Amino acid sequence: MDLHTLGIADLRRGLRSKEFSATELTQAMLGRIEALDPKIHSYLEVTKDSALSQAKEVDAAIQAGAYDDLGILAGIPVALKDNLNLKGTHTTCASRMLESYVSPYTATCVQNMLDQGAIVLGKLNMDEFAFGGSTESSAFGPTRNPWDTDRVPGGSSGGSAASVAAGLATVTLGSDTGGSIRQPGSFCGVVGVKPTYGVVSRYGVVAFASSLDQVGPLARSVEDAAIALNAISGRDPLDCTSQHIDTDFTANLAEGVKGMRIGVIPEFMEGEGMDDEVRDKLNEVMNELKNMGAEIVEIELPNVHASLSAYYVLGPCEAFSNLARFDSVRYGYRDPGHKDLNGQYEASRSVGFGPEVRRRVMLGSYLLSSGVYDTYYYPAQQIRTLITQDYVRAYEKCDCILMPTSPYTAFKLGEVKDPTAMYLSDTFTIPINIAGNGGMNVPVGLGNDSHLPIGAQLICPAFKDENMFRAAAALETVYGSACVAPDFEKAGA
Amino acid sequence: MTEYLTEKDVRDIAAYTSIGLTDEEIPQMTKDLNNTIEMLKPITEYDLEGVEPTFHPIGSLSNVMREDVEVQGFTQEQALENAPAQQDGYFLIPSILGGGDQ
Amino acid sequence: MRKLEEVLQDWEAVIGLEVHAELTTLTTKMFCGCKLEFGADPNTHTCPVCLGLPGALPVPNKAAIESIVLAGLATNCDIEKHSMFYRKNYMYPDMSKNFQTTQGPIAFCMRGHLDLEVDGVGAKERIDLGNLKPGETGAADSTAANVTRTEDGYVAHVGITRIHMEEDAGKMVHVGGGEGRIAGATHSLVDYNRAGTPLIELVTEPDLRTPEEARLFMQKLRQIYLAIGISDCSMEEGSLRCDGNVSLRRRGTKEFGTKTELKNMNSFKNLHDGLAYEICRQAEVLEEGGIIYQETRHWDPSKKRTIVMRVKETADDYRLFPEPDLAPYDLSDEFINRVRAKLPELPDEKAQRYADTYGLSAYDARHLVDHRVTANFFEACMDLTQGDLAKPLANLIINDITAHMNADEFFDLPTSPLTPERAVELVKLLADDTISSKQAKQVFTAVLEEDKDPAAIVDERGMKQVSDTGAIEVVVDKVLAENPDKVEQYKGGKKGLLGFFVGQCMKETKGQGNPKVINQLLTQKLGD
Repeated sequence: MDLHTLGIADLRRGLRSKEFSATELTQAMLGRIEALDPKIHSYLEVTKDSALSQAKEVDAAIQAGAYDDLGILAGIPVALKDNLNLKGTHTTCASRMLESYVSPYTATCVQNMLDQGAIVLGKLNMDEFAFGGSTESSAFGPTRNPWDTDRVPGGSSGGSAASVAAGLATVTLGSDTGGSIRQPGSFCGVVGVKPTYGVVSRYGVVAFASSLDQVGPLARSVEDAAIALNAISGRDPLDCTSQHIDTDFTANLAEGVKGMRIGVIPEFMEGEGMDDEVRDKLNEVMNELKNMGAEIVEIELPNVHASLSAYYVLGPCEAFSNLARFDSVRYGYRDPGHKDLNGQYEASRSVGFGPEVRRRVMLGSYLLSSGVYDTYYYPAQQIRTLITQDYVRAYEKCDCILMPTSPYTAFKLGEVKDPTAMYLSDTFTIPINIAGNGGMNVPVGLGNDSHLPIGAQLICPAFKDENMFRAAAALETVYGSACVAPDFEKAGA
Repeated sequence: MTEYLTEKDVRDIAAYTSIGLTDEEIPQMTKDLNNTIEMLKPITEYDLEGVEPTFHPIGSLSNVMREDVEVQGFTQEQALENAPAQQDGYFLIPSILGGGDQ
Repeated sequence: MRKLEEVLQDWEAVIGLEVHAELTTLTTKMFCGCKLEFGADPNTHTCPVCLGLPGALPVPNKAAIESIVLAGLATNCDIEKHSMFYRKNYMYPDMSKNFQTTQGPIAFCMRGHLDLEVDGVGAKERIDLGNLKPGETGAADSTAANVTRTEDGYVAHVGITRIHMEEDAGKMVHVGGGEGRIAGATHSLVDYNRAGTPLIELVTEPDLRTPEEARLFMQKLRQIYLAIGISDCSMEEGSLRCDGNVSLRRRGTKEFGTKTELKNMNSFKNLHDGLAYEICRQAEVLEEGGIIYQETRHWDPSKKRTIVMRVKETADDYRLFPEPDLAPYDLSDEFINRVRAKLPELPDEKAQRYADTYGLSAYDARHLVDHRVTANFFEACMDLTQGDLAKPLANLIINDITAHMNADEFFDLPTSPLTPERAVELVKLLADDTISSKQAKQVFTAVLEEDKDPAAIVDERGMKQVSDTGAIEVVVDKVLAENPDKVEQYKGGKKGLLGFFVGQCMKETKGQGNPKVINQLLTQKLGD
C-alpha cells in the first residue's frame, strides 16, 4: 500500500481499523526519506528515534481502543521547517550560525501538533533565516523540486513544499513572511496556507520580520491543510499578537462556491509581467469558479503596487533587529581565537551569516538610521495603512480574491542570480503579508508549456480564513488534490 | 543609478551591525544595497499627508499583558547548554576592550 | 581647584538627573515569568525570553505597568493612555537580544514635577536668591524663576520630563585584570539573572542648580518610591541608580554649556560629591580657556574625582522603532483609576497633615516623614497621647531616634525595645520636669540597652530632677558666694559667664537641678 500518498482522513481510517499500525506507517515514511530524500534534500534532520517512540505510544492507544482520544493528528507523519523550535532537535534556520544549536524549548505551534498526536519525522530545509524564494541560500545545500530536480522548489519553505510533493511527509509546517509558504506551494504543486496574521502563535518560530511572519501548513489536500490549521491555530499567552480563534477550517469545505463573490483584479488577469501559461491557467480557474456558481467581481487595489517597496523596507528593518541576537555569546557560531569581543562579533557574524542575510541585516540597519527612518520606514508603515484599507474596501464587494501565486513556474537552480530580480518574484504574495490577511496557494494543474505545477492564490479578509478554504475546496473538485510528484524517484541523486 | 550609499557608508554600516566584510566584498555589497534601495523609490514618491502608520497589523489588539506570576524557567545547565564557552555558571566571552591582547 | 561655594558665585550649574529604579517588589521579570531575585547563583533565573533565544517573544507584566502608573501619579505626571514599546538597538553582551525594549517619544508618564524644600547648610549652595523674602518667587526671567524663598531656605520646583518603562540588562564580571575592572581584563563573564528586570527611568528637566538640590531630589524620589512600594530602592545593590548631566554657564548668560554625563553615584553622598567635583572641574577647565567634551565620566569616591569613561563623538544612533512583538497600549480610565486608588498618603501630604494637625513646624514635619518607620512611630505615639506632646515627641524622633538609626544600620525601630508607649512615657517625664533633657538622653539609651520602662529606669537610678526653688536657691547662693571675682566680672559685662554659674550649680546638684529654675534664679540674683 502506498501509505505516503494518503491524506489524513485515510490514514486515520487505516490506523483506527488496524489496517496498518502507526509504527508501520512511520517506518514506511522513514524508509522513503532514507531512500529518496537524497534526490531532493528536503530534510536537514530526521528524528527517527523520537518518531518511532511516538508511533509506539499511538499504537498502544490503538490497541487499547483509545485512538480517538489522542487528537486529530494522531499517528500522522509531519515535518517542520527548520526555523520552528522543537526541544532536543537542531533548529538551524539553514544557517552556519545555528549549525550546532539544539533547541531547549518547543514552539507553541509545534507543541499543538504534538498535543494532537502528530509524529514528527524531522526538520526541513529552507532559505537561510527564511530570506529567499528558492531555498538555494540554505547553508547546507539547496532543495530540489520533485517535479524537476534541476529546478528549485521555491522558498523560503522549499523543504516543507518539496517533502510534501515528494510524499516524504503528509503535512508540513512552513512560515510565510512575503510568500514563503504559498510560492513554494505553487512551485511544487501543493496546498500552502498563510493564515491571517494572529491566527497561529509565533512563539518559538525564529523571527524574520515579526509583523509579517505567520506559520501555516502545507499539504496535498485542502482538507489536510484545514485539519492541520485547526490543530495549530488559537490564542497563545506567550504571543501577544496571537488571537482567539474558534473557527473549524474544515467546516465549509463541501459547501461549494455557489453564491460566493470572488474578486479579481483586471490587470492581474491580463497577465502583465507573468508567463502566458500562468495567465491562461488563471483565467481558466476564474471560469471554473464561475461555472460552479461563484459571482466574479472586478475589484481594485490601487496601492498594492507599493507593497514590494514597503516589504523591502519593513522586512529588513525588523530582520536587522531580530538577528542582532546572533552574537556568539549565548549560542550560535563563534569564530575561534579572538581576544577581543568586537573581533569575535564581526568574524562570527561574517562567517555565520550567508550573503543574503548580511545584505538584509545591513539594509535594515541603514533604513532605520536617524534621518533615513523618516524617508523609508515611517512612510512604509503609512503605506501599510493604505494597502490594508484597499483590501477592506475590496472585501465590501467580495468574499475572497483570486490572483496568481507566482508570475512563473519553478525556475532552474542558479538561474536567478541577481538578488533584486529574486525579490520581484514575490509580487503577488507580498501584499497580504503587509495587510495581514490570509492567503493560500491551490494547485491547479500543470502549465501547458512547462509541464510544471501552477498555483492559484486565494486571499481572504482578516480572520475569514474559512472563506478561502471553501473556494479552494471547490477548485479541488475540479483539479483534484495534489498528487505525489511522479518522476523524481527515478532521478539521479 | 543613484548612489545612495558609498563604500565608506557600507563599511560604517558593516561596523555598526558587527558584520566583518573584507575589502573585496565591499564593492559588491555596495552595489547590491544601492540596487535594492533604488527599488524602494515608490515609497518616497507617495503623498502620505495625514495617513496614520500601521506599526501593528490587526490593529484592534491592545493592552496584552500577563499576571505577575512566576513560571519555571531553565536550570543553570539548560541555560548554558548552547554556550560556545562557559565558566563557573557564567557565559564566557573575550574581553570587551580587547585587553587580552595586551 | 576652587571650592564649590566660590565656583557657584561665578558659574551657574545646570543639572539634570536620570534615575533608574528596578521594580524589585514584583515577583517576576518584565517580559517573562522568571523570578526576580538579587544575589542568586549566575544564570539560574532565565528562560528563552530573557536569554534572547531565537523564537522567544515578550509578554509584559501587568503589575509592572501598574507600578509605573503609580509612580507617575505620585510624581504629578500626566498618564499617557496611548503609548508603545520600542526597540533600542545596540550590541552589548549583557543585553541578550541586543536591543533593549523601552518606550519611544511617548512614555507612560509625562510632564511631572516635585517640589524640593532646601534648608540648612545645603541652602547656602544656592546663591541667586538675593533679596527674595519668604514667600516670594524669583522673577520669571531670573535664574531663580523656579524657586520660592522660605523662612529657613527655599523651595525649588523641579520638572520631570518623563518616566518610561524598560528592562534591565544582565550583569558582567570582568576577569584577568585588576579589581574586576573592564580595562586590562582578558575575559568577561555574563550572568542574565538580572536581564529583563522591570526598570523605570525617570528623567528630570535640567532644573537643578546645586548638588544639594540633586541630592534632595533623589532622596525625595526614594521616599516616594518606598511609600508607594514599587522598589526596595537600594542604591548599594543598584536597584536605585542615578546618572547626572552637568553643564556650566557664566552667571547672567542663557546659553547652555556642553554637558558631561556622570555615572556611579551610588549613594546620596556620592551623588552630591560627584556633582560638586564635576562642577568645580568644569569651572577650572573653562577658566583656563579649555573646552568641555561631551563625555561620560565615572565618579571615583575613593580618589574623589571623576574620570572619563567614553567620549561621545556623535550622538548614539539606536535605530529606535516600534516593537512589533508587543501590542500598543490604550490604558482605560478604569485602569488608571484602579491604580490611583492604590496611591497611599505621600510623604508631602503626610508632612502637611502633621503640620496642620499637630502644629509642628514644616521642618519637623518633613523630617518625621523622611523615613517610613519614623513616620509610623510618630503616628503610633500620637494615637497614645491623642495628639498631645507632638513637639517633644517629634524632637525625640528627629534627634535621638534618627541619630541612632544613622549610627547603627542594623537598628530596627519597629522591633526595638523603644516602643511608642515608652517614648511617650519618656517625653512625659521630661515634660513634667521629673527629669532633665540630659537625663532624658541617658534614659533613652538605657531603654534601648536594658529593655525597661523609662519610669523604672528613673526610679532605679534615682534620677529625679530637683525643681524645688527653695532647694536650688541654696545651691545658687553657695555658688555665687564661692565665686565673687566671677560675679564681679559678670556684672562688669562678661555675660558669657552665666554658663559657668549654671554648670557649677548643676555640679552641686549632681546633675539633678532643673536648669530652667537654676537659670531663672541666677539671672534674678545677678540683677539682670
